[in-house]
Amino acid sequence: MPRVNPIDTDYFKDERKSADFTVIGKTVQRSDALGHVTGRTEFFEDRSFPDLAHVKIHRSAHHHARIDSVDCSEALRVPGVLRVITHADVPSNWYVVLRLIGIEPNDEPVLAEDRVLYKGEPIVAVVADSEAAALEGARRVKVTYTELPAVLDVEEALAEGAPVIKQAGTNYFVYEGHHARRLRFGDVEQGFAQADHVFEWRYSSAPIEHAPTETTGCIVVPQSSGRLLIHSNTQAAFFTLDNTALILDRPFTDLQVKGGTVGGGFGGKVDVMVEPLACIAAMLTNRPVKFVYTREEEMQVSSPRAAERIYIKDGVMNDGRIVARKVMLYVDAGAYSRHSPYGTTKACAHLPGPYTIPNVYADCHCVYTNRTPSSAMRGFGVTIADFALESQMDRLARALDIDPLQFRLINAYRDGDMKAHRKVAEGTALIEVIQRAAALVGHELPDEFRVLSSSTPREA
Amino acid sequence: MKIVNLKVNGVGKAFIAKPETTLLLALREQLGLTGAKRGCAQGACGSCTVLLDGEPVVSCLVPAVTVDGSDVATVEGLADGDKLSHVQQAFLDGFATQCGFCTPGMIMSAEALLDRNPNPTRDEVAEAISGNVCRCTGYEPIISAVLDAAERARL
Amino acid sequence: MLTEVHVPEDVPAAVSLVAAGATIIGGGTSLMPRLNDYASPPTELVSLRRAGLAGVHVDGDTVTIGAMTTLAQIEHDPRLALLHPVVRSIASVPVRTLATVGGNLFARQPHGDLTVALVALNARATLAGRSESELPLTEAGLVTAITAKIPKKGAFRYLKAARRRYNSASLVTVAATIHDESGEVTIALGGVSDRVVRAHAAEAVLSGRPLTEETVHAAAEAELAHLTPADDAYASAWYRKRVFPVHLRRALLGR
Repeated sequence: MPRVNPIDTDYFKDERKSADFTVIGKTVQRSDALGHVTGRTEFFEDRSFPDLAHVKIHRSAHHHARIDSVDCSEALRVPGVLRVITHADVPSNWYVVLRLIGIEPNDEPVLAEDRVLYKGEPIVAVVADSEAAALEGARRVKVTYTELPAVLDVEEALAEGAPVIKQAGTNYFVYEGHHARRLRFGDVEQGFAQADHVFEWRYSSAPIEHAPTETTGCIVVPQSSGRLLIHSNTQAAFFTLDNTALILDRPFTDLQVKGGTVGGGFGGKVDVMVEPLACIAAMLTNRPVKFVYTREEEMQVSSPRAAERIYIKDGVMNDGRIVARKVMLYVDAGAYSRHSPYGTTKACAHLPGPYTIPNVYADCHCVYTNRTPSSAMRGFGVTIADFALESQMDRLARALDIDPLQFRLINAYRDGDMKAHRKVAEGTALIEVIQRAAALVGHELPDEFRVLSSSTPREA
Repeated sequence: MKIVNLKVNGVGKAFIAKPETTLLLALREQLGLTGAKRGCAQGACGSCTVLLDGEPVVSCLVPAVTVDGSDVATVEGLADGDKLSHVQQAFLDGFATQCGFCTPGMIMSAEALLDRNPNPTRDEVAEAISGNVCRCTGYEPIISAVLDAAERARL
Repeated sequence: MLTEVHVPEDVPAAVSLVAAGATIIGGGTSLMPRLNDYASPPTELVSLRRAGLAGVHVDGDTVTIGAMTTLAQIEHDPRLALLHPVVRSIASVPVRTLATVGGNLFARQPHGDLTVALVALNARATLAGRSESELPLTEAGLVTAITAKIPKKGAFRYLKAARRRYNSASLVTVAATIHDESGEVTIALGGVSDRVVRAHAAEAVLSGRPLTEETVHAAAEAELAHLTPADDAYASAWYRKRVFPVHLRRALLGR
């Protein structure tokens, strides 16, 4: 496939060793492409097993409610239904996918117990001989609720007097005792005081569904050894193995995950949603069990990219220097943590963008609401923050009547700069990228901007 | 339940179909041809596209008993041994696949287009694959590959 | 849940199955998505695929299209060039291979663009065991064919506003036939109600008057009060009402 632009080896000449980059610039066939074009690539659902049973879910009808009663008797009478599974059948019902890296508390039940926190939350799993019987069984589960006030907006969730929806006692994730992931550098108020202008704008985004063409799913096959073989389309085989084992309260060695062939993931298949229930169903029935989302479930309950709301307040000088940046960022985690505490930290780590600003203040909130839990999606935390930051940069440039690329070059971080996180920037290359991009689109830059280099220290 | 006869990739096949057996499920679960995928079961994603009597259809919307006696072509039947079809080879060489889930349906839509129109414009290719959802590539390499396949067929 | 799929070989057999309570399936493109999730009550289907209802017959300027003729067959029939832009604006290639003319008459809005065109062409439907019926149909029945007169070149107009160029449901669809001799215009609309509508109010404004910016604008204004567009994921009702006058103008005036 022809390259749009040949690799430019002029930049950073002394950092290139001749033995490096032997593959870049060459065409290397994907190892899986032949299987793709012949239809022979084996996705999890392409395997067939005799006596395969199916799992379908009865889900919450409300955003926020107390569960008063669950009646499975009608479901059990559906011909072909083998078992119903409630939270009582889940050995260790509470988890958080990131507990493997020390995130706590476990805030999500595999199956709801006495309450539901979002519409579509799983309450009962039905195992049946056929997909149709499992769906019919799931439909016949009767749940009675007492509806509770729902919180559907991040700032409302944090407002005084908002109903507390989380059992941990706060509608936000607690970062080492704090209400938000915080970034403090310099004195932002003093920065605003010395600035020629102060601008503040608000940015927000909606949840975004990954919509992989292959919906989330797995097939679990009990082995004669007593182990469970999990054919999964997870993007995260080891998250899946470890979390499933912890939920089943069985040794990690009892499980084997076969995966790696994923029909579109984009971050949507890193939560561990289907495997634990399929394993429990397989253990209870001693049959191979498939649990795959319908397209409707994929759209409704698989976790999307989080909605975010971001306020950015900047102090700028007439010459284009940004001297202070304050960011209040809210990630809508939805009802449960999943990967959002981490995503929010990533957002904070990304601030104030690739610019050197002497005074920075940020509070990045991971907020719980009664919406579908959000989680990972391509660059989560960073992508929406970038949308906000770069929109802000364009607006500031316009307000100051400075060319937007020149404005970025003025503020671009350089090797050796101290970043707001107190790490020294290295390998920045932003200046060169902007210069090159400007040249490619025929955007004229004055000489003083063309001679800038990311490896030249900034004047004090 | 009814016995359904199909000629699949040139070979006669018979199977027992229940009322809810779609052509897609028959291919996948009864004939062992898993190239066509179930992405939505709504006719919206095109992952299940096969040729029915030479024309592309979303096989998830076709009750199997209604097409008794038909000819069906699937991605598995395109290659002649190790020799790929022009479309398959162009997809392979042009990096028109990523996760691969949409690829069989996409290729069948492309084959159907080139059968009818050996010299399509870029826009005609876009129309021909408008029923096939690809969430990975952004479509451009796929469109280029179909045009490349048309070119190869002309050589 | 599907309990049986009948595939009768002729219309009388289909009619008696329908009388016994079976649901008619044409191409299945709107029925099967609902049946595939097993969410339906027990359902018996009668497929018209082999009932001998496919085919196009042209006699002078009168065209008769069998109910089981697919949108793809129309698309590839040079005698029906008039309808090519219409069918190519509907769904995608592998759906058009299945979707039928008869089925389109019963498609739920915002689908059913072919019906919009047929209404504007004053097409009539032939129903088994009944007399011909005007479109849009007001009751269910087994349609065997539709018949329409092909207007003279340039008299038929069709314009569909959609989210994407291909394979996208209607935001607003306008179809019209301009009858130069009588000074009348027949206008049909999709996307603006829960069914395909004949734009009687707009037609009345335009009756006997030349098509100009002013008259078409007045016609759109008159029709707006009668529109009840959906507020859905494709578009808000507000947006559809904004798009309608623009597309009526573009359809009738070409600008």
